[in-house]
Amino acid sequence: MTEHSSTQNYLQLPISVVGYIDIGRLTREMDDLAEFLNQAAIREPGTSMKLPKSSKLFDELVSANNLNMLQKEDRERLQAFLEEVKAKAPRLHISFGADPSPLFLQKLMDYLRGAVHPLVLVQIGLQPNIGAGCVLRSTNKIFDMSLREDFKQKRGLLMKHIANLKTPSETEATS
Amino acid sequence: MDTFALAAILTGIAASTGAFIWVALRVSSGGSHKQSGADNTYLEGAEKDVEHIFNDEFREELRNRGRLHFEKIIGENAMFLQQDLRLTTSQLNEFMKNEITAKLQDEFSKYEESITDAKQMAIESITKTQEAIEEQRQMMGQQLLKEIEAEKTRMVGRFEENLGDIVNHYVLAAIGNQIDLNDQLDYIISDIEANKEAIIRDLSDGA
Repeated sequence: MTEHSSTQNYLQLPISVVGYIDIGRLTREMDDLAEFLNQAAIREPGTSMKLPKSSKLFDELVSANNLNMLQKEDRERLQAFLEEVKAKAPRLHISFGADPSPLFLQKLMDYLRGAVHPLVLVQIGLQPNIGAGCVLRSTNKIFDMSLREDFKQKRGLLMKHIANLKTPSETEATS
Repeated sequence: MDTFALAAILTGIAASTGAFIWVALRVSSGGSHKQSGADNTYLEGAEKDVEHIFNDEFREELRNRGRLHFEKIIGENAMFLQQDLRLTTSQLNEFMKNEITAKLQDEFSKYEESITDAKQMAIESITKTQEAIEEQRQMMGQQLLKEIEAEKTRMVGRFEENLGDIVNHYVLAAIGNQIDLNDQLDYIISDIEANKEAIIRDLSDGA
């Protein structure tokens, strides 16, 4: 993964950060914090200050990367990292038959970040008609891994069984 | 007709009277020429006798007889005329009756002939229409059978083509609410694992 190697601030995304929307939210939060701290730096000493409230996601991101947001370098590193993720991180769209639970998403993101790409972002969709499984859409391809597609692929087998079925009249005749 | 007959009878009576008088005068004038003066006595006597014979009573009698004769002739002629008129009327009636009957029979026969022709034409037309309807019915029946067969084939084809969707729909309707996404995690991850290389390649090589 060349992109991964080039995304070197050696920062990582926590598995709770799932999609592009989360990145946008984190970026805004980061910008607000940076702005606040920049303004605080030019204030007179002794003035009371109140840090903006950070989200749980942001806290996880900061703690996962051992960053100190009071340090300008860390802030700039995180800002640059988020911008880079926003611009270059691979994105996947996965649809399920029902809304996935947070635990399910965490497990899935854990797998995807390990197997596919460490910065992969996922957008979750809902398709109630797929039954079980999922439909994954990458940049140019669609991977239908649903039960519906499975039934379609095994249609020959189903037809073979249907052809071997006996009609009620035939069953009565044999009995 | 009556006027002409009456005029002819009157003319006949006048002519006979004139002729009678002319003969009497001729006889009397002829005698006087031959016997000249000697016979004047006879002539006078004859004139007296004539006057004596054709006196007023006699003349009245003649007039009455002529009137009666005239009336009789008029009556006879009127009777003949009436008979003739009745005969003519009867013949005319018979003639008219025959003519009208013949004409009517002719017209009726023509009318009957035209009705027969019209009836024949109507029967032919109805027969042709029935044949056309029957032909159309058979054609439509065949077409309908063909359409039904095609529709049946199409429906079976669609059923076989969408069999996966049908079964999936049935499974979803039957046990859809019992399928938990958390239970599918291993299945989903194994599927993604199977397609991992293709996904990574698409992400790295794609736009």
